[in-house]
Amino acid sequence: MGQIMGSYNARNVDLYMDDKPTFDHQAGFNFDRKERVMVAKEEDLISARIPPQNRDYCAHYLLEYHQCRYKNMPLLYKCAHEKHHYLECQHQDYVLRMKEFERERRLRLREQRLVGVA
Amino acid sequence: MNNLFKSVILSKRHVLSKNTGLIFNAVRNHWNYEYKPGPYPKTPEERAAAAKKYGMSIEEYQPHPEHMGYGDYPKLPDIGADSKDPHYPYDQPELKRNFNEPIHSSAEIFGEDRYDISMRPRFSLAHQWTWFLGTLAGAFALYIYLEDYKIGRPVTAKQYPTDGPHYLFSSK
Repeated sequence: MGQIMGSYNARNVDLYMDDKPTFDHQAGFNFDRKERVMVAKEEDLISARIPPQNRDYCAHYLLEYHQCRYKNMPLLYKCAHEKHHYLECQHQDYVLRMKEFERERRLRLREQRLVGVA
Repeated sequence: MNNLFKSVILSKRHVLSKNTGLIFNAVRNHWNYEYKPGPYPKTPEERAAAAKKYGMSIEEYQPHPEHMGYGDYPKLPDIGADSKDPHYPYDQPELKRNFNEPIHSSAEIFGEDRYDISMRPRFSLAHQWTWFLGTLAGAFALYIYLEDYKIGRPVTAKQYPTDGPHYLFSSK
């Protein structure tokens, strides 16, 4: 329910889930935004046969988790730390997406206000 | 058993002498004149003879149309076994048929456990089709209408490294 109550009005500015940001990434910031770095190497991902939808910015934690599982099978409870690191990275990634959504929504509202005045 | 041997030897001599692969013949090698109906009756005398053959009176005897190829086999009214009186003492109660009663040409689908053509359905076919297609169409229409009112989570698209540079919300 919470995700509806806060963002239902985003459809007023024509913003829906999984939209791409349309504004310049630096707009509204008085500092330079840091870039996201891809840590895992492409050849490692290919060699480990990670599915393409998992080859995101958290893939290096996923690779470590897979290595840990392979080493400790079948005592998988020993990989709890690696799993926690991976899930934490995914959580931060999701929070970043939510922040982007909110930024996009506010920039569109601002644009509407400016256009309304002009 | 002996008859089978005799029929094989009399009719298939070459099989028995050349190779002994096929000794027993599963299909009988004789023909009964009642296996096939006679030709289509054209004159009134032929109709009377055909009606007598099938045990019907001349008034109720009616052959199938000639182009269908049924010969002089009678065209009986389409009554399914399920619609016949259940309390009458039939000679063959399983088939609801009396002795020497002519069998319908489509009797294999009119049995009690199969299609009953003379049934009066509680809801007409048009009624049934309307409700069925109407339910499907209604569900589909609701789906199409609600496509504009979908709700999603407040997140942008998932960020993959191949889709160009992405940025965090902190400074360098």
